Order: sequence, then C-alpha cells, then structure tokens
Amino acid sequence: MAQSSEAAGGLASIPALLARNAREHAQRPAYREKEFGIWQSWSWAEAAQEIEALALGFLELGVAEGDFIAIAGRNRPYFYWAMVAAQCVGAVPVPVYQDSAAEEMAYVMDHCGARFAVVEDQEQVDKLIEVQDRLSEFEQIIYVDPRGLRKYDHSVLHQFSEVQEKGRAAYDRLGVELAARRSKLSYDSVCVMLYTSGTTGKPKGVVLSNRNIIEASKSSSEFDHLTKGEEVLAYLPMAWVGDFIFSIGQAYWNAFCVNCPESADTMQTDLREIGPTYYFAPPRVFETQLTNVMIRMEDAGRFKQKMFHHFMDLARRVGPDILDGKPVGMIDRLRYGLGNLCVYGPLKDTLGLSRVRVGYTAGEAIGPEIFEFYRSLGINLKQLYGQTEASVFITLQPDGEVRNDTVGVAAPGVEIKIAESGEVFYRSPGTFEYYYKNPESTASTKDPEGWVATGDAGFFEPDTGHLKIIDRAKDVGKMADGALFAPKYVENKLKFFPNILEAVVFGNGREMCTAFINIDLTAVGNWAERNNIGYASYQELAGHPQVLDTIRGHVEEVNRSLAEDPMLAHCQVHRFLVLHKELDADDGEMTRTRKVRRNIIAEKFADLLGALYDGSDEIFTTTEVTYEDGRKGSISATLKLVDAEIVPVEPARVAAE
Amino acid sequence: MLDQTEGFVTEDGRKIGPVVMEMKNITLRFGGVVAIKDISFDIREGEIRAIIGPNGAGKSSMLNVISGFYHPQEGEVWYKGAKRPAMKPYQVARQGIARTFQNIALFEGMSVLDNVMTGRFRQMTSGFWAQALWKGPAEREEIANREAVERIIDFLEIQHIRKTPVGRLPYGLKKRVELARALAAEPSILLLDEPMAGMNVEEKEDMSRFILDVNDEFGTTIALIEHDMGVVMDLSDRVVVMDYGKKIGDGTPDEVRNNQDVIDAYLGVAHD
Amino acid sequence: MPEQLIWGMEVFFNGLMAGVLYALVALGFVLIFKASGIFNYAQGVMALFAALTLVGIMEGQVPFAHLINAIFGTEIHHFGWHVPGLLAILLTMVVMIALAWAVNQFIFRHLVNQEPIILFMATIGLAYFLEGVGDIMWGSDIKKLDVGLPQGINGPIDELTYNIFNYGFFIDNLDLVATLVAALLVIALVIFAQYSKQGRAMRAVADDHQAALSVGISLNFIWVMVWSLAGFVALVAGIMWGTKSGVQFSLSLIALKALPVLMLGGFTSIPGAIVGGLIIGVGEKLFEFAVGPMVGGATENWFAYVLALLFLVFRPQGLFGEKIIERV
Repeated sequence: MAQSSEAAGGLASIPALLARNAREHAQRPAYREKEFGIWQSWSWAEAAQEIEALALGFLELGVAEGDFIAIAGRNRPYFYWAMVAAQCVGAVPVPVYQDSAAEEMAYVMDHCGARFAVVEDQEQVDKLIEVQDRLSEFEQIIYVDPRGLRKYDHSVLHQFSEVQEKGRAAYDRLGVELAARRSKLSYDSVCVMLYTSGTTGKPKGVVLSNRNIIEASKSSSEFDHLTKGEEVLAYLPMAWVGDFIFSIGQAYWNAFCVNCPESADTMQTDLREIGPTYYFAPPRVFETQLTNVMIRMEDAGRFKQKMFHHFMDLARRVGPDILDGKPVGMIDRLRYGLGNLCVYGPLKDTLGLSRVRVGYTAGEAIGPEIFEFYRSLGINLKQLYGQTEASVFITLQPDGEVRNDTVGVAAPGVEIKIAESGEVFYRSPGTFEYYYKNPESTASTKDPEGWVATGDAGFFEPDTGHLKIIDRAKDVGKMADGALFAPKYVENKLKFFPNILEAVVFGNGREMCTAFINIDLTAVGNWAERNNIGYASYQELAGHPQVLDTIRGHVEEVNRSLAEDPMLAHCQVHRFLVLHKELDADDGEMTRTRKVRRNIIAEKFADLLGALYDGSDEIFTTTEVTYEDGRKGSISATLKLVDAEIVPVEPARVAAE
Repeated sequence: MLDQTEGFVTEDGRKIGPVVMEMKNITLRFGGVVAIKDISFDIREGEIRAIIGPNGAGKSSMLNVISGFYHPQEGEVWYKGAKRPAMKPYQVARQGIARTFQNIALFEGMSVLDNVMTGRFRQMTSGFWAQALWKGPAEREEIANREAVERIIDFLEIQHIRKTPVGRLPYGLKKRVELARALAAEPSILLLDEPMAGMNVEEKEDMSRFILDVNDEFGTTIALIEHDMGVVMDLSDRVVVMDYGKKIGDGTPDEVRNNQDVIDAYLGVAHD
Repeated sequence: MPEQLIWGMEVFFNGLMAGVLYALVALGFVLIFKASGIFNYAQGVMALFAALTLVGIMEGQVPFAHLINAIFGTEIHHFGWHVPGLLAILLTMVVMIALAWAVNQFIFRHLVNQEPIILFMATIGLAYFLEGVGDIMWGSDIKKLDVGLPQGINGPIDELTYNIFNYGFFIDNLDLVATLVAALLVIALVIFAQYSKQGRAMRAVADDHQAALSVGISLNFIWVMVWSLAGFVALVAGIMWGTKSGVQFSLSLIALKALPVLMLGGFTSIPGAIVGGLIIGVGEKLFEFAVGPMVGGATENWFAYVLALLFLVFRPQGLFGEKIIERV
C-alpha cells in the first residue's frame, strides 16, 4: 500500500486529535444537544473527559483490542463519544442504521462478530435481544435511555451513564492500560468500519484507517477553508460515511462544534436555532424545503406573493452571478440588496440557512430549479461526488465554478481516470483499506495499484475539466435496436417535477421505454386540496384521472427534452403507469438511502411491466406490503396504463462508446 | 388473591400498594334514570385499573363521579383513607386526581407547552401577588415547573409540537397532549376516559405503550375506561365490568374473561 | 412650515392622548370578553362608578346620604374627613373587587353556558343598575376629581416646540401621565396573562371550562379576578377622565366610544384595543380639524362610528382580531 503521507505532528488518530483539541481548545464548544427544550453543551475538555470515562468503562467490561462495537442510535453526543471511546481502547466502531430491521442488524453484527453494542433505547435493545441467539460472539448491550428497560434482565444490559461511572471509579486501576492502548494507535490502524447499503447483494463492511479519514478530512477542510468556528447540525444517519467525515473527521480536525437536534421531528426548528455555517443535505431535503416554501407562498396574501415572485425573478437572474463574484450592474445589485432585506433574508432565516458559508449536496442528481433556487438566494450550495470507499470525497465543486449538471473537479489528493467502458476510477489517500472478510469484492473493486472502480459511468467535460456522471455503469444498457439506454438519467429528469416522487424506467433490451411513477403525496395532495378534489388514500389520489393527466404532461415534457439530445432520444417514455403504493425500503423496493432497486421492482411488479408492453389499457394487481411494525398485508388496485406522446426521432443510431 | 391490604408484587415485578380509593355503594340517578346502581370497587396504589362495559353501561358516569363532575345520590367515596365530602371538580383535581376526556378537552388556542403548563396549576403555590409582581420565588417556581413539564414533553415525544397551538394538531397528538397535561399534575390517580377512542391500530398501540410506560416509570395509579375489551385486557391489572349501571364482574383480566355474566353482556344482545 | 401643518401636528398629538383614554376603556372590554365571552356593556358605567366612589371616599361623603336622610329625617352628608388620594384609590379598589365578587355571585355564575345575547342583556341591566346605585350612593351632581395628578400645559414641550416651529404646542400634562399609565398597564397585563399562573388560568378558562376544572382551576375565582381586573382598569380610566372633565354621567358615555375602538382593534386583542384607541383618537381630532369647519363642526360625534362601520364591512375581525375562518 502506497504511503501517501505521514501524520502531521503526531496526530495519527481521532483520539490523538481529541487530546489536541482538549488541550488547545479546551473551553470551546465541542458538542451541543437540545434536550428538555434547552441546548446543553460540552466543551472539548468536557467531551474528552466523557469519552475517557466511557473508554475506561469499556475496559472494565472487557473490551479487547480489535473487538467490534456496534453503535445504533440517532445523532446524539453519546454515540459520537462511543465511537471515539471505542477507538481509544483499540476497538473498531461499527455504526449501524438505527431504523434497520432486526434482520439487517443481525446480518451486520454477525458479519463483523461484534461483542458489544451501544444503542439508544428500548427499541434497539428489543431488536438485539430478538436476534441475540443467532449471534455467537455478541455479549453486552449498553443503552443510553433507560425508559421501559427497568424490568429487563440486566446481566448483559448496562446503562451508558453507569458504564461511565464505573470507568471513572476504575481510573487508578485501568488508566495505565488505557494510555497504553491509545499510544498504540497509528495512522494505519482501523478508524471505523462502515457498511455500504449496496444496491444489490448483502452489505459490505468498508474498513477505513485513520489515514483515510484524517487525510480526507484535512484536504477537504483546506479546500473549503473550514475553521474551528464552523457550526454543523448532525442529523444524517450515523452509519453513513458522510456523517462520520463531517461530525467526526472534519469536526475533530478543525475542532468545530457538532450540534445534535432534539429529535428527528424537530430538525427544522433546531436548524433555525443553530444556523449552521457548514451544511450538508441530500437533494431530497432541499427539495422538501422548497416544496414547503412554495406551498406556504400559495397561502400567503396577494401582496406577499407578488413581492416574493418579483424578487425571486430578480434573484434567478443575478443571484448566482453575485454569489460567484461575477460582474453585475449597480442597479441590479441595489435591487438584490433590497430583495435580501424583504425576501431572501427572512426566507433563509426560515429555512435555517442564513449563516451557511459552505453547503453541499450529493447522492443523487438535484433538480436544476431547486439548485438554482438556493444559489440565487445567496446560499453557497455546491455538489460533490463521493463514496464510502473513498472516505467521501472524489470530486468537489470549487467556489465560483458551481454548476448543476457536473460534480466538479477531482478533490485534493485524488486522481481520477475514465476507463474504456466509461466507468470512473479513482485513487486517493482516502481510499479504503479493504472490505471486511470479503477479499473477492476487495479485489474486484480495488486493483493492486490502488485504483477503485466507482461503478458509475461518466466523462470529463473537455472545456472545464469538470466530471459529469451519466448513470450507474452497469445500468447503462442497450435497447433492442442498440440505442443507448440510460434509465437513471431519464428518471432524474422525471423526478425534477415536484409532483413526481419516484420514477423507475424500463427498456433494457426492449423496443421502447416505459416507466413506473410514484406521485409526491405532499405536492399532489396540496394541489388536490386547492382544487377541491377529495381523496381518501394515496391509492385513490394516484388513480385520479386529473392526476394521470398532469403526470402525462410531465412525461411528455421530458420526452421533448430528451428528443433534443440525439444520444438519448430513444429513451423517451412511450407508456407509463402511476403505482398504487409508494416504493418503500421496508418492502425491499428501495435501499435505505432511498435508491430504487430496478431489478427487484421489475420482478415484483412483473404483471404491471408486462401490461405496459402488451398494449392493454388497465390491469388489476395485488401487492404484498410490510407495515412499519413488521406485519404484512396486501393491497390491490386496478391501474390505468397511459400512453405518452413522443417526439419522432431519426432512425436508430448505435450509441457511441 | 387480591385481599392483601398492604399490597403485593405482580408477576412482572411491579409493586401494587394498598387501596387508595374506594367507591362504596355508589348510586347515581339523572331524574328517573339510574346511571349507576349500587356499585362498589376499589383502586390500589400503582395499579392499572380498568372499567369496561358496553356503550351506555355507566362507565363515563362512574369516572365523572370519581373526578367530582357528578355527585352520587347514595354511597361514599373514600380517598386516601378518609371519606370524601361533596366536592367541586377543581377541588378534586387539587387533591391529586387528574383526568382526560373522551372528547378531548384542551385549550385549543394555547400552545402545547402552555397546555401542559396549566397541568402544573396544582404545583404552583406562590400567591397571587407574588405572581403578579413576578418576585424571585415565583420565578424559580416557574422554572422548576417548566423543567418538570419538559421532562413530560420528552417522555411523551411531543417536542416537535411544543410551540404549536393545540387547535392545529391532529386527533392522535391531541390525545397525547391531554395525557401530558394530566401527567404534569403528578397525580395520585390518573383517570383516562376512553384513551383509545377514535384511534387507528398504530395509534392505539402507541397509546398503550405510553400508558404502560407512565405506570412503570412514575408508578402512577391509573384508572381507565374503555369499551374496547381487547386493549384493556393487555393493559390492566384488575378490571371492573359494568352493564346497565350494574357491576357484573371484578377481578384480574383472566378472571373477568371467564366470567359468564361478562361473556353474556359482551356476546349477548347488543344494546347501544 | 405652514401654520396649518403645525396646528395639524398639535391636533395629532392631542388626538393621540385622547386615544389613550379610549384605549383604556376598550381594554376593560377586551379583558372580560377574552376571559368569559361576555361583552360588558357596563364597562363605561363601571368607570363612572369607580370615579364616583373615589371622589366620595376622598371627600368623606356618607354613602346613601339622601336615602338615609329621607328615611330617618337626618341631615348627614359628610363624615367630616378627607382621605388622601392614594389611600382612597386603594379603598376604591376594594370596593371594585367587592363589586366584581357580587356581579359574579349574583348574576353571571347563574348564567354559565347561556347565549352571548343573554349575557349581553345582563350587562345592560347591570349598567343601569350600577348607574342608579352610583346616583343613590353618591348623589348626581357633577364632581371635581383631583388625586394630585399634574394638569395644565406641559412647559418643556411648549418651549421646545416654540423653539422649533415658533409656535408652542398645547399638550396637557394629564394626557402625558395617562399615556404613561396606560402603557404600563398594558405591559403589566400582557406579562400577567402570558406568564403567570393566574394569567394562564385565565386564558385556560376562556378556552375550555371543563378542561380548566380538570386541572384544578376554580372558575368562580377566575371570573371574580377578571371582573376585578376590569374594575381596576375602569378605575384607572375613571381617574383619568374624571380628572380631565369632571365626574359626571357623561363619563359612562365614553363606553360607547370604546365600541368603535373595539371594532377597529378586534374584540380579543389587547394591542388591538390600544392601536384602535389611538386611531380613533387621532382620526376624529384630525377629521374635525380638517373637515369640521366645512360641514359645520361636531364631526367628533359621528366620525368614530362611520370609521368603525367601514371596518365592519371590509375587515369584520378588526385589525388584530383572530381571523374568522369557517371550516367547511
């Protein structure tokens, strides 16, 4: 393995960074969490003490070097402490999606052979107890919230605060051991193991070393000039690599403060109260926020509406240029200033984004209108392209070179090459060590020279050197006539319409493209309410003739825009249907990160897919669904199959490689 | 098995204490209609006591007798070892008996926080003038009460609607806010009037969990009314069954389930 | 600066001051309406009654002197002592609290859950009853009220404006005091209603009786408290108006001026009462100043009502009132 660089100043691990922060930034806030309606806060010195107490407690419980400690809970300081405390005693933290079902959790825990788990509450404890018998190596559970757990058998259950208490008491006995273990940590020791959700197959455990995490955090922080003064809101799943980089890697490297919301439901309020300066959200979140703003504006008074639209038009015209520091006329600048006072400022404040200096989105394509909306308000929203295997960063958009349809240039220290097949490869100090207990996958993903296959197809734009991603490499297929089939590209175009929540396009090896569509209940429901259209369920709304008409309009618009691009004109959607249920991760139709699983959907709804191609007008179908509590049920419906107009194109042309 | 005067420990390890409230031969009439006919039962400290029966059996009337909204013509109410004189509902509330209502009685115009704060009325002891002049003790009291309220808000998972006017909330959440307000009073007995009425399965499960958690965490004595027999049987320690204003059964859920009168009342001719 | 404009400014300020007094009366209405849903027609008479009582106590008048003299043939009128202003105000407040208790005990607790119109009729009855009682108790002659509030032209303002405009504004010290008192009163009331135990209980009772009972709030206590508060506001208004224009029957008529104020401000909003009062005060003074001479004056008698009427047509919930939404 190429040693790209050595740790600067002996800062070779997260615990080492913690020690530095506790020394040099002792009184600065490290963590805040809203609890009982008030923001509680911990300085770096206090955080270091909490973590040490827990680490000693781990020793007391018998955690050995190399043990895996599973961590499942929503973003709370306690779980970040647990991860760092695990590192302190030479164990490996394995954050797990807290909303995963017992089965999924069992797979991960079994795969890594976790001996310990630090979890939030009764819900997680119940899940673990349910699968405990199958986990031969699993021993002890540590929980944070004691509610409802009093009557449980406490021989293997420990309350977080008590573990810390025992740890503090054992300082004299175990302090030396802890110091010894901490001193053994090097740039090459394992920092964290993260399971990738994977669009197919079982999750893989990505092993990231201290080098990976610290190098990636360091160079990305320099790229965006992050300082110890940043405020971030930690609200994305802790099991996701992004949260690990933002809330631990970059936070510890820069010594900035991580703020934890009170609960998932209060996220928006907490966002406003904290006013983060550095903010990440997937496109979905930005989309929801924008939809909410638009709905609220529909209900506002006439004057307010007029003012809003007037200034938003202005912002769309000059806002992005002002943000990028390009020349803009004096008058427009003044008007933009006025708009800032009347509309943009209050709006940003409502969104909780008024202090954002650097904002990122990634994970999937973001709608151009959505992206432009935020940028025109003066919010420096950018895109990045990354992967768990890369410790997030592959490409980043530099300030002033932000565009909607590219993902930017190679992040500092990252080399990128495009293979013959169009697949994107990269190599960087952040590149993962290996997949845990899975040498075959490691070998097929990462070659001996350290190049990693992303699985995405893309190309560099000749003029700007920005990378453009088209689709998953394996999803780019051929239609029956040999024309290029890029389903995700089409799906994204469809999903840019607020009324469409999800789209799944089919056509690989077929004569024509068709699509399944999920309507967005918020947007369409609101429209229905305004037009006095009554509906009792998602299903009823989804089948409403006027809704189908609207969706057909959207599909035809997409077709027109596809027709403009000769490479993709054959991907026009000939026929579609609006599904009678929302695609759901619980039913296996999507990944936990809400990416559609095309093959599984095609299999599950084979009857519907068949009907799209056999020319029938409607079809009756029954589908099994899983409720939130795990019970199963079924729903049935008669679905209309709708023909969409397509723009005639030149005779088939074989797609160029 | 239930005659231990000093209390006992249940199978799942909860302590049930001595009798805290006893209804003795209660009869309640509205004009010529007899709503409750010579009913006696008791409530023990720390237990979940259910009163069930078909619609119109007189359950709600019984709850209103306990909470002082109705005054029975005959019979006695004994509370904490003493006979309770005729009392106004607010006096009963101040004695530590909090309640919720079947049709939800919240202060719709006030925020969730303010609603729950009113639940602390009993705990706010500083006088009118101290309050009016906002003196130190009154301020400390306000802060202490706010803390207690925040713990309940956290407990019932309603943080996200803390500042929302109650009138805007959906039904299920309103029920939860009402429970929060009653809990805020730190009651000796918590009366729940059909806590699951009008809820879907999921909401019912949530509410059941909250009721059990409240009993478990705070040791609160709970008396509840339900006509949905299934829910009640899983929740309660002891059940009183009423029909046509009379008591037809009283005991553990298992005892009641096997009681012939109860089976007849539930499976016999429906009377709404 | 043209003279007209300077005079107009003076009129504007005087209007503001008059508006404060309207607002004070309107405030009493809002308090009771919010807490109990009763539109208290007697609020004006309560102000008169409070002022009469205050004067009576200060001058050591024997209450019901006429009645006593007529029955017993005596000739008593005064106790022969004078009570200092502050003490007299406290004593009057005790009387107002007693009145509040009596009003609740004998009238409104028997009318719980009645139609608003019935409650309104009851307050009309109360108004005439109180007027009569006031008369019998203290006599019907016009009295002068002086609790020691500063009166007359405010020197510094006169001087200041003279230096600026070469024309000294006539602003009455009493108006300035009234403004200050009103502002303090409003702040105190808002804090009380929002953050105190009793204030919260007051809002609770206004919202839902059953729920209020279930948390241990005594409805009767709250009602007596609210009527006492209204009595207190009436006393303050009575002192201001009484000092300004003497304690006489016409004092109760200012209650009618409070009606348009409420229509403007909304029946349920404390800030609404204030802003409404100011608008009416300034509006009618300016209108009289500008238009009065052309139509032969006396526009002050009707201006407020016309303005209120316009509001009723275009914004029936008032400036600050809760939006009237009918859910379909």
